[in-house]
Amino acid sequence: MVGSGRRSLVVGRWIRALTVGALLLGSAQLLADRGKNIYERNCVACHRKLPVALDKFFFNYLLKYSSERRVKEALQRFLKHPTKKKALASEELINQYGLMPKTELSDTELRRAIDTYWETYKVFGKIK
Amino acid sequence: MSASNATATSISHSERRTLQRFLGLYAFLALLILILGSTIYYKLQKDLMLQTKRLELEEYSKELIDGLKLLHIYFDRYRTYPRNPLYRSAIYDADSVRIFSTLDDPEGVQLDKVIYTTGRVIQYIHVLDSYYLGAKYVVVEIDDDRKWFVQTWKNILLYGGALLALFLTAGLVLVRLFLAPMRHAIRLLDRFIKDTTHELNTPVNAILTNIEMIDTEHLDEKTTKKIKRIEIGARTISNIYQDLTYLILHHKIASQNREVDMSHLVQERIDYFKILGESKKIEFETDIQPGVKLYIDEGKAARLVDNLLSNAIKYNRRGGEIFVRLRPGELLVQDTGIGMDQSAIKDVFKRYKRFDTSVGGFGIGLNIVAMIAKEYNLHIDIRSKKEKGSEVYVRW
Ligand code: HEC
Repeated sequence: MVGSGRRSLVVGRWIRALTVGALLLGSAQLLADRGKNIYERNCVACHRKLPVALDKFFFNYLLKYSSERRVKEALQRFLKHPTKKKALASEELINQYGLMPKTELSDTELRRAIDTYWETYKVFGKIK
Repeated sequence: MSASNATATSISHSERRTLQRFLGLYAFLALLILILGSTIYYKLQKDLMLQTKRLELEEYSKELIDGLKLLHIYFDRYRTYPRNPLYRSAIYDADSVRIFSTLDDPEGVQLDKVIYTTGRVIQYIHVLDSYYLGAKYVVVEIDDDRKWFVQTWKNILLYGGALLALFLTAGLVLVRLFLAPMRHAIRLLDRFIKDTTHELNTPVNAILTNIEMIDTEHLDEKTTKKIKRIEIGARTISNIYQDLTYLILHHKIASQNREVDMSHLVQERIDYFKILGESKKIEFETDIQPGVKLYIDEGKAARLVDNLLSNAIKYNRRGGEIFVRLRPGELLVQDTGIGMDQSAIKDVFKRYKRFDTSVGGFGIGLNIVAMIAKEYNLHIDIRSKKEKGSEVYVRW
């Protein structure tokens, strides 16, 4: 199940890379797609196991840090070196599931994942 | 330098100038104080209005924040911004980026302030503790009805105007108070001259008529010389007397204008003054075209010429020369005297102004010249070089 998922992902990526190359799409789109991949593969995959959805965490960060720049900085700080002190999640959650493990992603990958995270849940343009 | 604008400088004229200057300065200061007061009053009124509106706006912002909180919690289900027809609002994040707005003009918001009016709308800014939806600043806006503004301006104009009027009245009273001693002194001087003049007439005339009656042929040379000196003195006094009479009485006597033979008059006056010139060994040289006419009061024409000649003698050097030229439309009196500065020329027509205090006189001569020139629209042009002498042109 996981293997086939991964294979289809790899195939999908290969096809997409080809398409991009063929159609000479802008590299920005490529980066965003790559960020989305990392985000889906890394963050979402692991977080699926948790009872608290990623968007709840996001709104906690929004509540405390307000702006895009500050939210992203705080996320970067936490994800690279998660500590109990920095964590915004409830203590029960952390006690039950343990502190989030230090991310294995490289700085650039992490930044792209966070960008995707922000783009996914940001409120800009969504309020009616 | 023309006499047409150097008007006969009278006391009331200089007085008016002092008055104007003082009042100008005074009004300026009064206005400054009023503007300062008005500014403070305006600010106070504005603050008062904003304080009143603030209570209302705070209520609105609380309501709005409650709405934002709910929206924050249930954002996965509801995404409708809390609205109220009573006010418009906007939310901004910690980097002052606008998240959402229903404001009329969201660009001009000043997030560093608490409450202010743009003239059209009043905006209140509340800083949140918990940034619902990432909003750090909540801006609530209502229309500014401008009632306070109109009322405040009405008050400023009304009371400010009244105060200004009061200030100016006080200023006028002050000026009159300050000018009283100066007026008094000048009136005293004028009265003194008037009184002296009255007392001069009879004795001077007595001296002059009696000198004329003396048969000099039967006298020795020494006595003749002495009598001549007495005559010179008497004529000088007589001249001063004429000037003073003119000053005191000229506005009471109607001018008797007629065609005056200026050639004749000028020659006659030169003859009269020759004897005065002799005492300083001054030579007269004339170039008088016969038959030059001018429509003028003869007495005034005589005063004009007399004063020019008397000045030419008075300010001449010993053994100097006076050149008089008469042409239709122009009289020139030129001397070889001490001359004067360019700056002094514009002052010469002022009464009691003597540009050389070492020489006697009251400084009224040119003042009379200017008055007469003004009355008959004569143009007076003075050209002077220090130590070289002066040329006075009278043109008509
Ligand atoms: C290996 C599993 C795992 C991966 C991978 C993972 N997380 Fe987590 N994450 C957790 C767990 C467990 C928690 C809850 C405990 C805590 O809050 O520290 C958590 C908590 C969080 C929180 C809340 C932090 C807080 O302040 O409490 C955020 C935000 C978050 N993750 C974002 C991410 C993002 C973004 C990624 C991808 C770059 C990511 N996570 C990848 C396991 C993971």
